Amino acid sequence: MSRLYDWLDSRLKLKSVERTLLDEPIPGGASWIYVFGSATLFLFVLQAVTGMFLAVYYAPTPDHAYDSVQYIENQVTFGWFVRGLHHWGASAMVVAIGLHMLQVFLYGAFKPPRELMWMVGVVLFLIVMMFAFTGYLLPWDQTAYWATQIGINMAGTVPLVGDFLVKVLRGGETLGALTLSRFFAVHVLFLPALILAGIMLHLFILRRVGPAGPWDEAKAAAGSETFYPRQVYMDAVVMLGVFIVLAALATLVPFPLTDKADPSDTSFVPVPEWYFLFYYEFLKHVHGPLEPVATWILPGAAVLVMLFWPFLDWQKKVRAPASRPLGMALGVLFLVFVFSLLGISLKNLYAVKRVDPAIAHGKALVKQFGCTACHRIHGEGGAIGPELSYVGDRRPEREWHFKHFRNPQSVSPGSIMPKFPLTDQELHDLTSYMLSLRRET
Amino acid sequence: MSVKQPKGEVTPGFSTPVGTRRKFFQWVTRMAAGLIGLSLAIPLVGYVISPALKRRDKPWVEVGRVDELTAGQPKQLEYVATIRDGYLEAKTHKAVWAIKQSDGQVTVFSPLCTHLGCGYHWDGDERKFKCPCHGSVYDVSGNVLHGPAPRHLDVLPAKVENGRLLVVYKEFKSGTSTAVEL
Repeated sequence: MSRLYDWLDSRLKLKSVERTLLDEPIPGGASWIYVFGSATLFLFVLQAVTGMFLAVYYAPTPDHAYDSVQYIENQVTFGWFVRGLHHWGASAMVVAIGLHMLQVFLYGAFKPPRELMWMVGVVLFLIVMMFAFTGYLLPWDQTAYWATQIGINMAGTVPLVGDFLVKVLRGGETLGALTLSRFFAVHVLFLPALILAGIMLHLFILRRVGPAGPWDEAKAAAGSETFYPRQVYMDAVVMLGVFIVLAALATLVPFPLTDKADPSDTSFVPVPEWYFLFYYEFLKHVHGPLEPVATWILPGAAVLVMLFWPFLDWQKKVRAPASRPLGMALGVLFLVFVFSLLGISLKNLYAVKRVDPAIAHGKALVKQFGCTACHRIHGEGGAIGPELSYVGDRRPEREWHFKHFRNPQSVSPGSIMPKFPLTDQELHDLTSYMLSLRRET
Repeated sequence: MSVKQPKGEVTPGFSTPVGTRRKFFQWVTRMAAGLIGLSLAIPLVGYVISPALKRRDKPWVEVGRVDELTAGQPKQLEYVATIRDGYLEAKTHKAVWAIKQSDGQVTVFSPLCTHLGCGYHWDGDERKFKCPCHGSVYDVSGNVLHGPAPRHLDVLPAKVENGRLLVVYKEFKSGTSTAVEL
């Protein structure tokens, strides 16, 4: 191994590259507080790798997207694991970026001469949000479809160009095949190219200006330590920790798809991902002529303030948090605002009466088996079999339904209802749905 | 800033770890990288190769009723099955040759000539199966009479249930003297 390395080194001069990469001096020494940038980079690589593998089976058309994701989830060996890592990795990335920005803000590391590093960082954060928005549509289930519908409609409130923007985002009049394929292309081709350039620039600036180190001048002046081995070790330990958490989430918390996207089913209430929730909650409280203020003026202003914060911050030299109380107070205020909205939103979400997933699945089965060809349920369906709108009142016993579905003639002699090949799960869910069909109590 | 010596010896920079402490950090870093790499590599390899290796159980498919067959008279029957192609479901159409024996048993032949896989036909006057491509000729039991065919016509698994003829469709490698399922 080392002979091969020497051979390569004598030609490619690797050792000087290695020295440049690993012996970067960190003022004040390595620290566990500096790991968030590396953790974010690690998560990006993980998203890139799992994303590439998901693309092996994914098909970006409305006809096949949902089935191909179901195929990955249920048929492909470890498909659930790869999809789980990608799903939870997206959330983890938002968390890691949040912590990274918080650390940089607290340490005043965005101040001169590191303004450009901060600004590129904010742009990277926006790119990640675009990744999140475009990736959310790809499974083409009800949640994906309706959440994206709302996201796109929000762009419509921008004056003058709103309608045009909506059409460009959709790629046509309606959210459909063209929307899905452009979201897919943006998610897997355009944004990765963009973010790679951004990451390289971010790291290039870091190496040119150097890490900021502690805010205490005396501590920073006391000396520096090379990036390798101790900071690398800390980064590696945190990466392993992050990976274990994600693997555990992917294994223990299944993330099943909702039903396939159905543009005609307007009863579906979509919920955005948690990192968009605070914004979603905010929109609920702003109506009428003020709506554009909430949908784009305030978010736009927030982004601009964030982007240009190194220039807006009036204390250019002071880094210690204690010496810049107003700046810190503004930061805290922003966090309180975001997290209270998130908190209210989560509370409201849990207060909503949830549909039992078994009932929802049962309802989907009724559609799948075409039960309404013969049975009428709330005004829809044929009159060959008995109406089922309130069958739960008529037949409240679970056992009766089990027997009936297994063999209709056994409990209802002379019935012309055919036997359907049901799995135990389907039998259970269909029965749950039947029992839920009752007059309001 | 520390300077590396050619043999991996390190002169200590300010508070940069050396000696066994340095070794420890190196070791932990490698272990962490190795663990992450391995626990990703194994699932990902399985992820890519699993559908390629998965063999699906081929289903019994009804091709017709036995009473539609005349004893000793081969008849071509349509075989329609739903096959799963990844996340797609597709209908596949094939045709198989079925011959009812005098004892009521039914033999079903693959419709492909064992030579190079051409479709053969039944010549009712001569009572022979003839392949138009290279002139292979088989008798009504599937034995080779002439031509380059290397083996007997391939027999497909068949059974009769309640008067319905059920068949499992298979394909075999062409040109070999024994039947090798594909």
